[in-house]
Amino acid sequence: MNEIKIKSKNLNVYYGEKQALFDVNLDLNEKEVTALIGPSGCGKSTFIRCINRMNDVIDICKVSGNIEIDGVEINDKNLDVVSLRERVGMVFQKPNPFPKSIYDNISYGPKIHGKGETKSELDEIVENSLKKAALWEEVKDRLDEPGTGLSGGQQQRLCIARAISVNPEVILMDEPCSALDPIATAKIEELIDELKKTYTIVIVTHSMAQAVRVSQKTGFFHLGKLIEVGKTEKIFKNPDNKMTQDYITGRFG
Amino acid sequence: MTKEERLKKRHSAEKRFRFYGLASIFVALLFVLILVHNIFSKGSSAFMKTAINVEVFFDQELLEIKNGATENQILEADFYDITIESLLKVFPAQDLDQENQLIDLFTTDAEIEIKRAFLENNNLIGKKINLEITASDDIDQLHKGNYPRDLPEDRRRISDFQLIIYDNLVENKKIIKNFNNYFFKNGDSRDPELAGIGGALIGSFYSIIICLLLAFPVAVLASIYLEEFAPKNKITDFIEININNLAAVPSIVYGLLALQILLATIQLPRSTPLVAGITLALMTLPRIIIPCRASLKAVPPSIREGALAVGASKFQSVFHHVVPLALPGTLSGTIIGLAQALGETAPLILIGMVAFVVDIPSTPIDPSSSLPVQVYLWSESAERGFVEKTSATIMMLLSFLIVMNFLAVYLRQKFEKRWN
Repeated sequence: MNEIKIKSKNLNVYYGEKQALFDVNLDLNEKEVTALIGPSGCGKSTFIRCINRMNDVIDICKVSGNIEIDGVEINDKNLDVVSLRERVGMVFQKPNPFPKSIYDNISYGPKIHGKGETKSELDEIVENSLKKAALWEEVKDRLDEPGTGLSGGQQQRLCIARAISVNPEVILMDEPCSALDPIATAKIEELIDELKKTYTIVIVTHSMAQAVRVSQKTGFFHLGKLIEVGKTEKIFKNPDNKMTQDYITGRFG
Repeated sequence: MTKEERLKKRHSAEKRFRFYGLASIFVALLFVLILVHNIFSKGSSAFMKTAINVEVFFDQELLEIKNGATENQILEADFYDITIESLLKVFPAQDLDQENQLIDLFTTDAEIEIKRAFLENNNLIGKKINLEITASDDIDQLHKGNYPRDLPEDRRRISDFQLIIYDNLVENKKIIKNFNNYFFKNGDSRDPELAGIGGALIGSFYSIIICLLLAFPVAVLASIYLEEFAPKNKITDFIEININNLAAVPSIVYGLLALQILLATIQLPRSTPLVAGITLALMTLPRIIIPCRASLKAVPPSIREGALAVGASKFQSVFHHVVPLALPGTLSGTIIGLAQALGETAPLILIGMVAFVVDIPSTPIDPSSSLPVQVYLWSESAERGFVEKTSATIMMLLSFLIVMNFLAVYLRQKFEKRWN
């Protein structure tokens, strides 16, 4: 088994009065895909948004407890979220390319982090990112066209390329295929399989089939609590918990 | 009620609504048409002026200057005598009273017009040339058909003798209609034939530029801060409510404020575009902040999240992504705010722009008028000539407003980027 990359200890999240996560203790392994499943509103997305501190954007959101990446506490007021997010990229549920050219979508991240000082360096980063996101062949002749003009699946791969462009260690994916058709979904899944060689990936998904296909480890959330976590095979074949069993067999959720 | 009846009722309700909607649009258009027709029919004649063709003889004895005189010499020279000489030759007058009546057919600036012709060509001594001298306001209105000549003589401003001269001039084709350059070039005047909106145009221009320079940066920075950076708490709620209230404050209140603070306390010069610009900026500020914030709010949060997720700082996500997307809405909101400011009259009256200013302002701290105030001033005047001038000024004002509104629409459509 790979080494532990991300470790959460007694993580609690509150939206105002409402508690969204209860004492979540979850370890995520390096260069592996961890899938988080569970019914809507169970806290999966809230959990991954703690890993790159995206919850900071929400005024009423309070996070307590610990999250460590490589043993370093990130839930710390003094931590620079900019450099954290450089290490932890994110792909959202709905593709959200910037309304700029394909090239600018990819080069934006490297530019603000001072990677790729010259044009040729930037060109290289853009090409590599698009290649890793399996989009290069489709867009290489129209890099100056708007990213918003691509199809939904291409837009999502563009967003993945954008996340890769700053060379992160971790990529968080919040239901990346929920807005896509089956063919585009298959492409993204293939891509995830390829990407896990380089990156630690956490994916939130509603599709149990997808969790089985792409992940090595699965965590099941329910009502803000982490009910069960373990190897994907085990979770789907022989879960310890009755609730997990009910969920994966479709009895609720 | 059967299913058919219910369905029929629903359809007729929709038809009724469509009819009411169309009728409302028709009524609104009708009012616009009436307004435009009224202004155009009254105002369009102001763009032409009536002139009388006069033969002027530059008599050396009367002028006391020579050919090739310098500009200063010409400006100092007295052209009064040759003016009177020339004007009197237009029609034979029997006595002094008739002579005065004849001279009254011309503008009081006839002497200046003749002097101007000599300034253009200082070799005219001893020569006769034909000049088109602007007619007086009364002749102008008579010629444009705005003057009832069938009134009894004692109730007319034009005497029977003057009518005889006029008819004679028309018969000899001495009366000409020219483009009214005075209307655009001159400042205000007591004489309608000489009055123009030149001063008001420049005054309005300076006021709006000052208003833009003050209001735009403040409004944009305030909106960006309030919308993107300010914590959402009671204080920001309070500020938001008050910005909305300020936008609804009657403009005359801003005039009072300016009167007290800018004129009485800081002692800025009265009646100037500088004060007008500051006053209008105060008034326009909340009116720009509101559309500005609305267009910032309209940028989808996914764009902000996308930028933050690749490691942009808050500042970078706002200025690299949100602001450029909000820019078209911001610009068009600003232009519409400025258009409102351009048409604003009440606060300017309070800060003294209603003064009678003849000179064209050369700097923003010279006394000046502005277009809407000029409309107000002329609409109060008794002379017939000011009626068409009032409408023509409204036409100018409206055309500026229309141009600005089109510009706003154009900018919004041209630079608006679509997402998703």
